[in-house]
Amino acid sequence: MQRSWRYILLSAIFVVMVFPLFWMFWLSITDTASRLSFDNFAYIFSTNKFGLYLFNSLLVGIIVTLGNILFCFMCGYVLARRKIPGSRFWFYTVLIVLMVPVHIVIIPVYILMQKTGLYDSYWALILPWLVNPIGIFLVKQYITTLPESLEEAARIDGAGEMRILFKIVMPLCKPALAILAIQVFMTNWNSFLFPFILTSSEQYRTLPVALAMLLGYQSIDWHQLMAGSVVAVVPILVLFIVFQRHIVSGITAGAIKQ
Amino acid sequence: MTSDGRYKGWALFLPWILTFGIFWLFPLIYSFFLSLTDYRLLDPTVDWIGFANYARLFSDPDFITSLENSFIFVIGTIPFTTVIALGLALLLNEKLKGRTFFRAAYFMPSITSMVVIALIFSNLYARGGYLHFLADMIGLHPPVSGFLLSEKTALASIMAMDIWMASGYYMLIFLGGLQTIPDELYESATLAGASRWQKFRFVTLPMLKPVLLFIIVINSIKSFQVFVEVFVMTKGGPLNATFTGVYFVYETGLKNFDFGYASAAAYVLFAIIGIVSILQFKFLKTEWKA
Repeated sequence: MQRSWRYILLSAIFVVMVFPLFWMFWLSITDTASRLSFDNFAYIFSTNKFGLYLFNSLLVGIIVTLGNILFCFMCGYVLARRKIPGSRFWFYTVLIVLMVPVHIVIIPVYILMQKTGLYDSYWALILPWLVNPIGIFLVKQYITTLPESLEEAARIDGAGEMRILFKIVMPLCKPALAILAIQVFMTNWNSFLFPFILTSSEQYRTLPVALAMLLGYQSIDWHQLMAGSVVAVVPILVLFIVFQRHIVSGITAGAIKQ
Repeated sequence: MTSDGRYKGWALFLPWILTFGIFWLFPLIYSFFLSLTDYRLLDPTVDWIGFANYARLFSDPDFITSLENSFIFVIGTIPFTTVIALGLALLLNEKLKGRTFFRAAYFMPSITSMVVIALIFSNLYARGGYLHFLADMIGLHPPVSGFLLSEKTALASIMAMDIWMASGYYMLIFLGGLQTIPDELYESATLAGASRWQKFRFVTLPMLKPVLLFIIVINSIKSFQVFVEVFVMTKGGPLNATFTGVYFVYETGLKNFDFGYASAAAYVLFAIIGIVSILQFKFLKTEWKA
């Protein structure tokens, strides 16, 4: 194919891929008469509680991400260095959960949260997601490629297991943990199904849940709804632009190795 | 390993044991037990009813419709998503200026929240919305009420949106696969006088088989679970036209609180997804050996 034709084709696809997001931005900064206006943003933060939803999304996202960095690291390390009997079995549990469709657990998890009194609280948004199988898988694969000699040398020098784990292995895992952190944050930020079924009051509503519930309400128009969408999308776009290489390599690494 | 070290090993692994036990293993078992009962939220008596829920499912027209729609969704999206993703990957696999830029742009829909995408397309598909306007202008006679309010076009519209959204993601996985193909293979094919098409057919495609299998299986599992799009855009309507399997589970279980019946539906869907994945593995593997 000639070079110029390739660029024409690539650009045409570019328009198709980017237009809907462009349309969202355009609607968010115009009013119903197509005049530029930022009133939509003022409206959603004052009349609707987008400040609260944004806070909830950030709070849950940050806690879940920190939890995953620590816990996926610990569990991935245990599997990579076979620190417990039955490591292989436990690794299979990780792989199996990766394949299990979530719809099968929504009803039991809903009942569980109701019975334990955790329904409609920050706990319900955080607890199930503090460690995830893809993260354990990523860390385990990464640590397996690291030479064990450093850890052994430290052990001979009399360093305790905890010291070896957090002072020697963890710093070496930074690249894998960075990929993990970005992926976990983005997945959590965009997640809808569980936050939607496990909370009911406005106090614990995250951005995706709030947006999904606002569609169809008489009191809000498309321009305001799109302003809310922009609030939900911009943090992810910024993360994507800054960490693009990490995100891309995380996705291909996870997929190809499987 | 000292017994002390082993003890610490378990302590370090505890987060996964708890998460696996509480949020996966227990729900999987519990939900099967539920499916054998008539447990409802507001009904204090819970009785064992054996497989009656399962029998009821297969004479429930709503459930049959939901399965049909799920199959239409899977069969109607995966070939398109896969072929488009492979095409995009091939377009971007060669060294050319702006490659990273285009790759990022095509991938962008995949990192955007599904709720937001569904909202944007609800607007584009609506009566007088941009896509509706465009279709009308080029003489396609779109439904007067908008794409999502017509039985004929609602499901297809959601499917088209999903293909648009997922293509960039699978493109990235294909690109990863393409990069593992050694250059020597193409060089020797060139020496043997192979055409572009022959190189694609006899070098690229066979080498991409594991990635292709991975993509088809993963995408099927994902697509059988379509829910968010339906919830935001159509709520299963109009006239059940977009009523899918997981939407059935949601509506019976968490709107009508018929936990037993919904769990049975969830298990049937689970079994279907499992069987389809195994069949895909078997079928595609033997196909490739031939």
